[in-house]
Parts: sequence; structure tokens; C-alpha cells
Amino acid sequence: MSNNPPKMTASHVDVYYGANHAIRDVSIDVCQEDVTAFIGPSGCGKSTFLRSLNRMNDTIPGARVSGDIRLDGDDIYAREMDVVQLRARVGMVFQKPNPFPKSIYENVAYGPKIHGLAQSKAELDRIVERSLSRAGLWNEVKDRLSDSGTALSGGQQQRLCIARAIAVDPEVILMDEPCSALDPVATARIEELIHDLRGRYAIVIVTHNMQQAARVSQRTAFFHLGQLIEYGDTSDIFTNPRQERTKDYITGRYG
Amino acid sequence: MSKSLVPHVPVSAAEVAPHRPTDWRSDAMERRVRRRYAAERRFRLMGLGAVVVSAGFLAFLLIVMIAQGHLGFVETRVTLPLDLRQARLGLTAERLRGPGADLALAGAGLERAVDAAANRAFATEGGAALLSDGAWLRVRDAVKRDPHLLGRPFTLDLPVASAIDVAAKGNGTPAAERTVAALGAHLSRGIARDFLTGADSTDATRAGIWGALKGSLLTMFVTLALAFPVGVLSAIYLEEYAPRNRATDFLEVSINNLAAVPSIVFGLLGLAVFLGTLHLPRSAPLVGGLTLALMTMPVIVIASRNAIRAVPPSIRDAALAVGASPIQVVSHHVLPLAAPGILTGTIIGMARALGETAPLLMIGMRAFIAAPPDRLTDPATALPVQIFLWSDQVSRGFVEKTSAAILVLLVFLLAMNGVAIFLRNRFETRW
Amino acid sequence: MSSLTLLFVIAALGLVAWVLARTRARRFRRGARQRFSSLPQHHGWYVALCTVVPALTFLLIWYFVSPALVTDAVLATPRAAALPPAGFDRAGILSEAREIAAGRAYGAFTPLADALAPAYAAAQARFDAIGTVIALLLMFVGGAWSFMRVRPGFSARTRNERLVMVLLLAASLVAIATTVGIVLSLLVESARFFRIVPVGDFLLGTRWNPGVIDPRDPGATLGALPLFWGTFFIGAVIAMAVAVPLGLMSAIYLTQYATPRARRWMKPLLEVLAGVPTVVYGYFAALTVAPAVRQAGAAIGVTSASSESALAAGLVMGIMIIPFVSSMADDSLAAVPASMRDGSLAMGATSAETIKRVLVPAALPGVIGGVLLAVSRAVGETMIVVMAASGVATLTLNPFASTTTVTKQIVDLLTGEAAFASAKTLAAFALGLTLFVVTLLLNVVALMVVRRYREAYE
Repeated sequence: MSNNPPKMTASHVDVYYGANHAIRDVSIDVCQEDVTAFIGPSGCGKSTFLRSLNRMNDTIPGARVSGDIRLDGDDIYAREMDVVQLRARVGMVFQKPNPFPKSIYENVAYGPKIHGLAQSKAELDRIVERSLSRAGLWNEVKDRLSDSGTALSGGQQQRLCIARAIAVDPEVILMDEPCSALDPVATARIEELIHDLRGRYAIVIVTHNMQQAARVSQRTAFFHLGQLIEYGDTSDIFTNPRQERTKDYITGRYG
Repeated sequence: MSKSLVPHVPVSAAEVAPHRPTDWRSDAMERRVRRRYAAERRFRLMGLGAVVVSAGFLAFLLIVMIAQGHLGFVETRVTLPLDLRQARLGLTAERLRGPGADLALAGAGLERAVDAAANRAFATEGGAALLSDGAWLRVRDAVKRDPHLLGRPFTLDLPVASAIDVAAKGNGTPAAERTVAALGAHLSRGIARDFLTGADSTDATRAGIWGALKGSLLTMFVTLALAFPVGVLSAIYLEEYAPRNRATDFLEVSINNLAAVPSIVFGLLGLAVFLGTLHLPRSAPLVGGLTLALMTMPVIVIASRNAIRAVPPSIRDAALAVGASPIQVVSHHVLPLAAPGILTGTIIGMARALGETAPLLMIGMRAFIAAPPDRLTDPATALPVQIFLWSDQVSRGFVEKTSAAILVLLVFLLAMNGVAIFLRNRFETRW
Repeated sequence: MSSLTLLFVIAALGLVAWVLARTRARRFRRGARQRFSSLPQHHGWYVALCTVVPALTFLLIWYFVSPALVTDAVLATPRAAALPPAGFDRAGILSEAREIAAGRAYGAFTPLADALAPAYAAAQARFDAIGTVIALLLMFVGGAWSFMRVRPGFSARTRNERLVMVLLLAASLVAIATTVGIVLSLLVESARFFRIVPVGDFLLGTRWNPGVIDPRDPGATLGALPLFWGTFFIGAVIAMAVAVPLGLMSAIYLTQYATPRARRWMKPLLEVLAGVPTVVYGYFAALTVAPAVRQAGAAIGVTSASSESALAAGLVMGIMIIPFVSSMADDSLAAVPASMRDGSLAMGATSAETIKRVLVPAALPGVIGGVLLAVSRAVGETMIVVMAASGVATLTLNPFASTTTVTKQIVDLLTGEAAFASAKTLAAFALGLTLFVVTLLLNVVALMVVRRYREAYE
């Protein structure tokens, strides 16, 4: 097991979509400086669970979350928790790249602007450059920061979205199948990037590509039919699964 | 389905006829195919015919309006020799330079002097009756511009009376036609300034559309100022924030129904509520604008909702995920992206309101208003109502004025729809 | 203080509050590495709104309340004892005095009004001053209270957003208020009408002649059946006889035969027909079509051909509706799955056969829904019939004879010189209610048909 302290702890979480019980009694710790992968067949609830970690489920009508999810010990579903600040601390990258139809610069600068993170234009410029550099995009776009973000290639768009998430200086980054809409070359770039970002942020990545989970993560959680079947160090899960269902899934028996 | 398609079930083995393949080249079959192709061509022509008939009607309507209406912008003038020295007006060039010029001119009996000059110059053709009631005003303006005219004889082209004007444009009574023939070279044509700058009048040659146009503009101002913010804000509420419940359903149903309520019912509402209960002034652009705003608002709500719905949810997710609040998501991202659609819908709704007549009749904007309104509470009329009022006039001179006013209205509507189409094409985004 | 100056002062104080609060919020942010939920300008807006909104709300209420207070104060003066008892005269004198006091009138017709004017002016000034002081007081209280709340942990943004939400909700309620207003005003006036005229007489009576109303039996000449018939005849029969075939065939041609380029030109051309104001159609119907129809009628031997015939109004109304039917049919045809069309074509059917036997039958419910919507629109159409149809109510099947419609009668009844609450004007509201109910039902049914049809192919 990893020795990093937990950043987010979820205990006994249930998620309902109307009458549909999507997540059943899931308890999990997300550790600092680790990459945690959620794997499992489609529809197993891993994305649903991910979205409850920064309360993006609030935007879905009829969605209800019960249980206890804490960020640094604070209950994120508590009344006094400001969801806007929560999402600034727990950033998210989506399945399909979704840059704003604005310039590359504005895409990255938007978060710092609404949160008032920069006192001056120069400081904002620094934040944008740092975020794009960390996302490995700076050298490709530094001469065309005023071009539209939607004019970039798919892989570049996804890295722009990562830069946008980094720009508000989050503590946790949630990635919901960030490579599923990308070609293999772009996927490799994102995986490298995740590798580089590790250590700065706690990263949670949902994927149904088991090789990807094995490549990028230190810890892996296997979900099936809304339940957390097994959670442990990635090396253990892939080499020595304790549960029969985990073994069936990673050996390709179903999925 | 035709019977031949039903498989024939043989009763006994003896009845089974040997299967013969269809002979597609037989004469009968070829005749049949030819007939089917002819039917195809006829059907296609019928479709084209329907489009042509509809478009033809539009063209016919426009041609009729232009053929009649263009004359409304033109007036017939007669050249009148004038010598104001004989009229003893008691005016001097100095008095006309001072601030009291209008008062002095109004009281000087200029109208009588002009009539007298006309009686002298065209004694046999009809004298002062030839001139429009407003002719002396042209003389007044000329004298005001150049006070020296008081001291010497001069000639001026003055508008003729409506009957003569109509006859000169080839549509008059035989008597008037004879007068026109007699006047011959004394007649000329010019732009009808009174039509573009004046308000309603009982005399066709003096009737103008500026008063009605200004009434329409004031009304539209009120409509836009109310319907646009209210419409866009309700659209935002319904699309982005409204909870799913009975109350919201009722809200949606009432907006969709309001869009289908006949416009005259809105007029009844305006009459009962704005005039009957709230005692707002009758015939005022304020009330007209309020009434049309209630009518236009659902149109703007529906267009805005469509535009807001077209903004992909992924944009909202992206903004939420960096910590934008729901209000910031809408004001920073959704609204700017939906703006072209919202504006297009608003312009189309406003164009409809501009052409609307019936509700304005209900709230009394059909009065005879001889001065352009200056304030929102002044009695006023609107362009389409003016068209309706003039169409009821017996005097032949109003036929061309009505058509000309229609042309003005159509130009405004065309311009608005043109802008809407331009916006739609220019900013249309596909996601 | 004049109202404009006061508004200006309020705006200025709001700005001051904004600047002060922002500065204060900035100060506590500086140096702290912690994150705050609200930016300085959020605090600025919060304090500015707390300063301005209560004062403005108060002034709005005051604007409606103070005239009554002023009048009460004037009536309490000794001079007011000379006023006639409450009634029309008294209201007239008071309003005259008010006009003089406000400087909008120069002389008075009644000496009493002149005498009351100073009292009016004094009372007005006193209550204006009271209103101003209260408004300023509210501003200071609101501003100071909210300014104290500008602290690092205070979420000003959330409060501001709650206010915006209230604004959004209020805007949405305007639609409901309008609906309620329509229904209430129609119901109230109609109820007054039906107290004079029995419902049965109105709905089933066959004589309509509001020009001669017998006060003892007003229902005898207020039977609206001929109007309902005329409306149906013009809007649902003649207009649809023009609009449905032309609109449907246009839609078929544009969607199935026309090249994309031709379609790009022809569709907007049809839409222009829908954009022409109805008053223009009405003028055209009265000026050009009606005489032509009468001549045509005379030519085929109809002696009673009227120059205000149902046919002329119906024809033009039909033309107006063409684009509406066409676009509804267009949508319905587009909703038929392409596989149906391909299946028919693959069997060797010609395009015309495919359209007639497969596409149109499949799209029929949608087309019918569209036609119902078109009827609802034709029934509510006013200006064409006002200008081209007759005012004489007749029950006739002859399209060359004159008929009248509900909308035409509403306009005629309300643009006369009758007193507001007479049977004549009230009848207009009863007609309006009927019209509202009928169009509503048509729309509801049409939308149900269309929705069910859409669901069938989804």
C-alpha cells in the first residue's frame, strides 16, 4: 500500500439518479501525490462516483448523494461548504475536450480571473504560462495565444483543458476518461503529462483501458455494478487480485 | 395494397400454373411505365406550380403596391407668380430676421395673399381651388428663408389640390383631367416633402407619415425596453435554473400558449387592464408598447430558450469544473454564445410587433392625430394603424398615400428581417 | 428634491458604497495567502445593492401611496370644506388643483381649484420631503449594516446571486401574470355581459345586429351564431382550401424535388409572405381582390355577389397562411424516416408514387396538426377581415355573399362611441373569450397530435 496520507476520504457513499441506485456503499481514500485509477466495465458507476467528488452531480436533476465525502477532513456536502470553492480545489477534466470558444489565453485565464488569483495582468500572464507549461502545451501555442481554443487538435484541446484545470491551483484533479476521444499518439502525450503532474496533485483518473490504468496509476479501484469490488496498489490488483470478479475482468473474461 | 401482391394459394396441384417471368418489355408494360412517368412529371409540375403561385402572389402584391405607392412620394406642383408687395402684409425683412418671425408670418394674412395670386393667375382654371391647403405654408417658408422676396415679384412651385394631383398622375375625374390639360406647362413634379415630414391630415396632399412613424418608433421603444429583458431573463430562468415541478410546467405551458393567442385578445387585455383598471392615457405609445410587449415577450422567450439550449452542456461543465458559480456560467459563457440567436429572435419578434395593428386599434391608437407625438404619453398613432385609417378614406388621393405608407412599412420590416438573417448566417455555430 | 435629482443622488451613493466596500475587501485580502469565496467587487456590489435596493423599493411604493396622502392632507384643510361631496365633480376639481400646483396648468376653470392649489403644493412638498428623508435614511442604514458585514469569511457573491435569482424568477412570473390577466379580464367582462344576455341567446341566437339593441331584450339581436359560422367559413373552409393544397404542394416540391440552390432561394421567398403585415393583406384584399371576386361572381351569374364577400377575405387569408402550412408540412415530411422512402424507391416506385403513397400518409398526422394550428391562426386573424369582410352577419353558404367574423365584430364593437360598460362593448369581451377558448383548444389538440406523431418515429 502507498504510504501517502489521504487527501479525500469517502465513506459509505451512495448515489441515486431518481430511482436508479447508481453507487452502493463505496468507501475509498484518495491519497496525496498519487494517481488513483478507477476501472470497471461501462456503466459500473465509476464516472458517477468521480462526479460526486467535486459535486458535479449537483448539476444533474434528480441526482442524490448520501454518505460522507471529506476533503482534508471537511465534509464537502456540508451546508457551509461553498461548492464554487470546492470545485476550484478539486478540478476536473472531461471525457471529450471542452475548451471554451474563446482564445487559448482566455481559456486558461478564466479560472484565475473569476477567483481573483492574480492581482495584475503580469501575474495573470505568469499563471497562464506556468499552467500551459505544466500541461506541456506552452511550446506549441506560445505564439498563438489569441487563437481560438477550439482550433487546436483534439489532443491539444485536452491538454488545454488540463492547463485550465491547473490554472486555479487545485489540490485534486479528477479526469473522466480523458483519452477516450483521442488517438494513440495524443493519448501517450496525456499519459506522460499525468506522469509529470504526479506529486504536485492528487489525481484520480477514470479509464476503461486497463493498460492505461497499469501504466499511469499507483493505486487502482475496480468498480462493478455500482459497487467497489477491490481497491489497492496497482501492482497488486493487476498481478494478484484478491477478488474473483477483479481477476475475471482484468483477464478479459468480461467487460 | 393491391390484390396482385397477395400470393395466390393454389387449391390443388393441378391448378399450379408454370411460373412465367414478368415480361418487362411487353407493350402493355411499356405503356404503363410511360403513364407512370407522365404522372410523375405532372406531380412535379403541380409542386412547382404551387411555389410559383405563392411567389407570384407576393410579386403581384409588391408590384401593385409599388405601382401605386411610388406616386405617393411625388407631388404635382403648379408654378405660381407671386408679388407680395400688393398684399400689404405689413411685413418687413427686418421683422423676419428677429425671433418673432413665425408669429408675424402667421398673423400677416399670407394665405389670403397666396389665394388671391392664384385667383389672378389661373382665373379660368379654378383659381385658389387649384392649390393644396398647405400651399401657402411653402410660401411662408420661402419668405422666411429669403425675406427679400417680400420686396419683389417671384414665382414659386406650389403643391396642387388633391383632385388635380390625382388627375395629373392619370387617375382623376374628367373635369380635373381637363384642368390638368389646360394648365399644361405650368405643372411640374417634385418630391412630396410633406409626406415624409408631416403627420395625418384630412387633405391627402398634406398627409404625412412622420407622425405615425414616430408613434411606431416610440411604441417599439417601449416594447423593446420591456419585452427584451423580461423575455431573456425568463428564458434563462426556465432553461438554466427552474426546478422540475408543477409550477414550472404551468409557466412553460402559459408561455407557449401566449405565443399562440390571437393578437386581438392582447388588445382586449390592454383595453381592460391598462385603460380600464390602471387608467393609463388612451392612444398613448406607452400603452401600445406595453400591450405589444406582452405579445412579443413569448416570442423572445421561445427564441432565447432555443438559442440557450443550443449551447452544448460541455461548456457549462467546463466552467463549473473550474469553480464558476451557476450565475457566472450563464453570464460568462452561455449568454455570449446564445446572443446571436437571442438577437435574431428579438428582431423577428419586433418586426412582428411593428406590423401589428389590431391590438393598437383596441387601445385607441386609431385617433386622428395631426401632430407627431413627443412623449410616451402623448396621443399617437402607429404606421400600420395609419395605413388602416387611410385605406378607409374616400378621397382618391389617399390611395397612393396608403400604398406609399405600406412601402415605408415594408422597407422597415425588410431591413429588420435582413439584419436577422445576416446575424443568423454570420454567427451560426455548429457544435 | 426633484425625483430626477433624487435618483441621481441614490446612484451616486450606491457608487460610493461600491468603492468603499471594495477598498475594504481589498485591504483584508492583501497579504493573506488564503482563498476567499468572494472577490472585492462582489463585496462592492453587495454593499451597493444593500444601499440602493431598499431605498428604491420604498420610493416605488411611496410613488403610489403619497398621492392619496397628499389628497387626504388637502381635504383636511378648512378650504376643502367647500368642496362638493365625493363624486365626479370633486375629483375634477382636485385634479385641476393638482395640475395648477404642479405648474402644468396656467389658469383654472373653477375658482375653488385655484384656492386649493397652494394647499396642494404645500402638502406635496411636505410629503416629498418626508419621502426623500426616509429614502436617504434607508440608504444609510442599509449601507452601514452591509458594510459591517464585509469580512474575509463573508460570502457576498452568494447573496448577490440570490438576488439575481429572485430577479430571474420575477421575470418569469410576468408570463403567468399575463395569462392570468387575459383570462381574468375576459372572464370578468364576459360575466358582466352574461348577466345582461343569457348564454344560450348569445351562443345559439341567429340574429346579430348590435346597432339596434332592445334594452328589454338585448339578447334578441346579440346572437353570435352567424359570426361563428362566418369565422369558420372564411378561416377554416375558404382559407384552408387555398392554403392546404398550395402549402402542402410547395413543401413537397421544396423538400423532394427542388435542388438545394433553388430551395435556398424559394424558402425565404415563401417566408416573406408570412412576414408581410396583415394590414397590408387587408388593404390588398379590399382594394384589388374583392372587386375582382365580385366581377368574377357576376361573370358566372351570381347576382348577389358582394364587394365584401367571404371569398375575397378567405382567399387572401389563405395566401397569408401558405408559408405556415408549408413549414409545418416540411417538418412533418422531414420526420418520416429515410428508410421508408428508400424502401419504396428500391421497389421501383417513382418519386411521385413514393410521396403520394408512402411519405404523405406517413406524415399525415403531423400535417393535420399543422393544419389545425393554421386554422387557429386564421380564426384569430383580424385585419384582413376588418378591411375586406362585411359587417353584416348572415348565415350563408354562398362564398360570394357577405359574411362577418368574430374578430371583425370585436373591432367594430369597441371602436364605436359606446360607453365602456354597455351591452355592446361587453359583447366584444364575450366574443374575445370565445375566440380565446377556441384557439386555445385548437392549439392544445394540434400540439397533442403533432407530439404523438413525433413520438411514433423516435
